[in-house]
Amino acid sequence: MTGCSPLKNNFIQMKKLLVALSFLFLSSLTYAQDLVKKIPSNAFTVATIKGDNVFKLMFVKDFNESFVGKKLLTETSKSLDKNFTSVEDFGINLEKNMYYFNQLSDSITYNCFLIPLKDASRFENLITDKEKKIKVDGEIRTMILPDSTSIIKWNNNMMYFVTGSINSSFFADSLKSARYGIKDIRYQDEISLADSTMTATDSTYVTTDEPMVEEVIAPPVVKAKVQKKSGKKSTVKNKSGKRKKGVKSKKAPKKVKHNEYDSAEYAVTDSVGMASLPATDDQYDQYQQEQAEQEAKKKQLTLEWMTVQANQIFNSNYESIESNKSYAASLDKNAIAEVWVSSLQDVYNSLSPAFGSYGKAGVMKGYGSLTAKLFMDNKSFRISTGLELAKEQADSYKKIMNRKLNKKFLKYVDSEKAIGFMGYAIDTKAYLEELPKLMQQTYGSFLGTNKMDEEIALGSELFSLLLDEEAVSKVVKGDALFIINGLNSRDVTYTTYDYDEDYNQTEVTKTKKETLPDFLFMFSSEDQRLMNKLIRYGINKNKVSVSNNIYKIEEKKSPIDIYFMIKDGIVFFGNSLTEMQSINDNSFRASISNTHKTLLSKNNFSFLFNAKNLVGKVPNEEIGGEETAKKFNETLGKMGNVYMKSNPIKGNLVSADISAEIPNGHENALKYLFTLIENAAK
Amino acid sequence: MFGDQIIVIFKFPVTLIITSMNLRQFYKLLLFIVLIPALSSCFEIVEEINMRNNGTGDVILTINLSQSKTKVASVMLLDSIQGYKVPSKQKIQSELAEAVAYLKKSEGISNVKSSSDFTNYIATISFTFKDVSNINNITKNILAKQKIKATNTSSYSYNKATKTFSRKYQPVANAKSEFNKLKNQDKAVFNGAMYTSIYRFESPVTNVTNPASNLSKSKKAVMLKSNIINLINGKVNVSNQIQLLK
Repeated sequence: MTGCSPLKNNFIQMKKLLVALSFLFLSSLTYAQDLVKKIPSNAFTVATIKGDNVFKLMFVKDFNESFVGKKLLTETSKSLDKNFTSVEDFGINLEKNMYYFNQLSDSITYNCFLIPLKDASRFENLITDKEKKIKVDGEIRTMILPDSTSIIKWNNNMMYFVTGSINSSFFADSLKSARYGIKDIRYQDEISLADSTMTATDSTYVTTDEPMVEEVIAPPVVKAKVQKKSGKKSTVKNKSGKRKKGVKSKKAPKKVKHNEYDSAEYAVTDSVGMASLPATDDQYDQYQQEQAEQEAKKKQLTLEWMTVQANQIFNSNYESIESNKSYAASLDKNAIAEVWVSSLQDVYNSLSPAFGSYGKAGVMKGYGSLTAKLFMDNKSFRISTGLELAKEQADSYKKIMNRKLNKKFLKYVDSEKAIGFMGYAIDTKAYLEELPKLMQQTYGSFLGTNKMDEEIALGSELFSLLLDEEAVSKVVKGDALFIINGLNSRDVTYTTYDYDEDYNQTEVTKTKKETLPDFLFMFSSEDQRLMNKLIRYGINKNKVSVSNNIYKIEEKKSPIDIYFMIKDGIVFFGNSLTEMQSINDNSFRASISNTHKTLLSKNNFSFLFNAKNLVGKVPNEEIGGEETAKKFNETLGKMGNVYMKSNPIKGNLVSADISAEIPNGHENALKYLFTLIENAAK
Repeated sequence: MFGDQIIVIFKFPVTLIITSMNLRQFYKLLLFIVLIPALSSCFEIVEEINMRNNGTGDVILTINLSQSKTKVASVMLLDSIQGYKVPSKQKIQSELAEAVAYLKKSEGISNVKSSSDFTNYIATISFTFKDVSNINNITKNILAKQKIKATNTSSYSYNKATKTFSRKYQPVANAKSEFNKLKNQDKAVFNGAMYTSIYRFESPVTNVTNPASNLSKSKKAVMLKSNIINLINGKVNVSNQIQLLK
């Protein structure tokens, strides 16, 4: 059947073409790349809002029709005198990720936003008088905001917003500030100090006087500067310590010489200042004027630095944050929003001068990057946080957290009734053994480099010597559970007054009902000798009474009765005698749900609050009237369960989750959040 | 400072997990949880004045927190609640002693006594006056001492000739607005708080001007009971002019 072959060939050709076309199409789509590539690798914090995930939960149309959407659209319409009907009118690409990041250095902090654009012309429509404000350079358009503190720059694919703030401590260093033609103006009252700074400023100022005006000295970058910190620090501190704004003294005129302006005006003030006091007011005005000049210079410098930085984002190639392993590992495709903070230790050390005397103390020693992720789905909100630790620190925590909650505890959780519980399990022995190490890591350097190391080491040794970790861990194993299984009302007496028909007062005792939660607290203990000794001591001192194995703490000051007992290697505390009695005679009836069982037994730390179980349980008069009670119960009824848990340490990562279930009848957490906002605004 | 915040924020998750349970802190936490339902509290203030025909008389002031003693007892164990510092028993006692010392020095005041009961949380102060207007000076001085700028809104007088006892009270103009500024949880403290005033006389009363006040069977005592919130709001006024039989 050769006759058919040309057709078949044709078909194959076409198919190839289609495939090729679709590839081309796809690649052109992906060509509008994710803006993460534009975030420099030395960003300190990166925050992401994932447009596609957000608008999966809520269509753009739904957003426009929501309370928040309507408000946003009408407000912007009003302020710009235009008519917006959809968020898409702003020209933003809502299916892509929006980013915030910041960059820190010892001289300036940049706060930056990267927003993907779908239609730049629509975005430009948001700007009034655009012809005047926008500078066009090829595809790139730039606008400097009126007060010159921020720059907006965009092309057809993205919008970049940057605002910078100069670190004042950087310019307190005269050598550094002189490089940029900025002087640290002070109103000083000590001749000697003024003199010494004067000479310092003089020499450097002269050398860098000219360049300042003509060209911009590139802003210092974190990495480059880290090593440069010399002995300057102490002088900086000294000087700033002397900064006294309001002080008016005779010696102040000396200060004038500090400035390079050699005008007649200065000379006059100088001599007058020397002669009489009143002149110091002029002197002060002068000082203020100079300071304003310097501030203006700083502002100008900030703008220049920002311009350089913004140009870099658009025009040059550099390593992006994607190459940062810690950042890359922190990403989760299901998250709605993410925040990542780079290694705390590194950044802390590089910025230490700004933190004054903490300096190189290394308080952040052992702490790596921090991440937080927000998830929303049809059941709940969840925030997941993680912190990277140094290996030795992580190892310590791993040892400490190598313990699970006593299974016997679970018999006492009544999921149907429980208002809340909190469980935690650590290995007391490991904790006591690791504690000195952890303390030394964190505070050792904090207390002074090298000075205290020996003492701390000695302290750690002493701690171990005094404490028999093994023995302690037998008394308190390290796992505990706190539960509130329900509410109970009881009668309480109070004193008030009765009046006879002649209004003579008599004191009377009445009773009223009070509703209090029944709590139960338990911890495991293998060795009860110490406990028993304590109990015997308490009984002898009349601080404890006993009946049927149940002890009661005789403390008049305590507003509630507290009972305790020891059974099956568990020490129980509680305020309900009935609960205690039923534990004692094995008649305690409770059933735990599987979710609660998993939550408690799988994690070192877990917490649950079930507000629904509180609804209607507290009598109205105790909440403060029917109306308050109604509101109170309504709010509680709308709340889903709130959970918290710590996750097992993975690698060097400690992490914990907080989640809140959304009530029934809501499609997903985002939509529920919008209704919450709407209700709150009403 | 930025640095400190970082330390606090980032150490939190770790310390949260590895917290060693400090018993005292645990007890405080427990109290907070246990006290969630007890949002409102009740207390009463009773003011009694026994007037004699010659113009002298006795005052007994009582503050009774007994209905809220569970809450008060718990609060006393805390350092502060809802942003307010909780005074210790010693502090309360010394303030009371200070008030007594101050009264003893005041003009026309004698026989000053005080009592405090920390089981039921009841405190009283009583004294004898030469003339009922002596009380006015006390309030004025106390207000001045506390640096409260308030025109004297409350005053007592007794006219021996006409045998008229009068209590003038003008709600403090900004009391309502100040009260409304309070957080709801703080306002709740006043839910159910009561104020009672009783004036007793040697002669029978022929007329009272305040319709909210009641006359006793013997006609020798006048009582006014009001919710404290209504006093603050100005819904109830305690002003009264009491005419005795001449």
